[in-house]
Amino acid sequence: MEFGKDYGKPEMFATAVMREIKDGEIVFHGLASSTPMVVMKAAKALGKDFTYVTLSDGVDHDWNRPPYVASTLTENTYTGSVATFGLDEIFDLYASGKGDIAFLSCLQIDKTGRIAMSYVGGDYDHPKLRGPGGAGSATLTPVTKRTIIWKTAHDKRTMVEHVEFATTSPAVDKEFTLITPLCIFRKPVGEKLLKLECIFPYTTVDEVKENTAWVIDETEVPVMAPPTEEELAALKKVDPNNILAFEF
Amino acid sequence: MWGSDLVAKNPDFYHIYKNPWGDDEVVCVRALVPDYAILHVQEADIYGNARILGPSYQDALMARAAKKVILTTERIVGTYRMQEEPKLTAIPHFLVEAVVELPGGAKPGICYPEYLTVDWADHKAYQKAVKADEVKQFADKMLEGRA
Repeated sequence: MEFGKDYGKPEMFATAVMREIKDGEIVFHGLASSTPMVVMKAAKALGKDFTYVTLSDGVDHDWNRPPYVASTLTENTYTGSVATFGLDEIFDLYASGKGDIAFLSCLQIDKTGRIAMSYVGGDYDHPKLRGPGGAGSATLTPVTKRTIIWKTAHDKRTMVEHVEFATTSPAVDKEFTLITPLCIFRKPVGEKLLKLECIFPYTTVDEVKENTAWVIDETEVPVMAPPTEEELAALKKVDPNNILAFEF
Repeated sequence: MWGSDLVAKNPDFYHIYKNPWGDDEVVCVRALVPDYAILHVQEADIYGNARILGPSYQDALMARAAKKVILTTERIVGTYRMQEEPKLTAIPHFLVEAVVELPGGAKPGICYPEYLTVDWADHKAYQKAVKADEVKQFADKMLEGRA
């Protein structure tokens, strides 16, 4: 598959996120998460056997029905569900250690995985930018086996040296991952810092470094394989309205 | 909540206690007790038994947390509907203070399966009304011809 011809950054990003999902897992994404929504539908289309829980109460909704708006609070993630399981129940489930993946995002993040979701700039009471807050991230990050932060921008305003006010930060005993349009950073279990794990085919370690405010120690990392024909077909199948493009 | 700066920032809301069953510590979150929960449902009877026929989000939980609950409903139904399937009653009557029959009451938002997409024009008008302190005028317009 050739970059710019067969696939672009959104498709590579989506593929990288999709490859994180394994059979048998319980997977959740938050509000305003059209990108992981499309990815999870595509993972279902690929035949991955996992459980999809969402804020709209639905458990394993009918993924064949394409999303028509870039919202995760519609009947699209409810219709055809096999059960209902509300967000309060999802929080309890994850708190009891049964949740495998939570796909969350952020306004800013640093090398220790401190995440700004409450505000950026100014102070808590007088912020320059007020964020959505930390209901999901602060509750789920410390208890989820694998928190995966998806962020469709990779620049020094987002990947900062130090997050002033952390809405949440990773637990040492949990895996923690950051996926951007350029690469994957991962904090393994037992460690405290994000490491550059791999880059995508169309970029270089130097480009990643130029766009990241923290110091990246890794000099040579693997290049992730481009999306396969099957992965691209799955994305196309579940997303004819190209909701994936919304975040890019 | 471990790892969040919110815990230290809001001591009135979060408190760290020693786990009574272990040597570690736990973060306790103060319960929210709203004076009112105003909830829109698809079906309610005149006593306040309510059925939520789509995503219920945290409505049932809010009904239990609030001091008083006001329901707006797409339609009033007979209590026999609840008696047929008691499990579908998400909010029982004894939690409810008042019921208002208000078809379209969740607009410009969503009420499954009655109206499935957000009405963005009305939503923007609402945002504008909030900023201009004209919510009453906005509500009057939404309710035109219904009173």
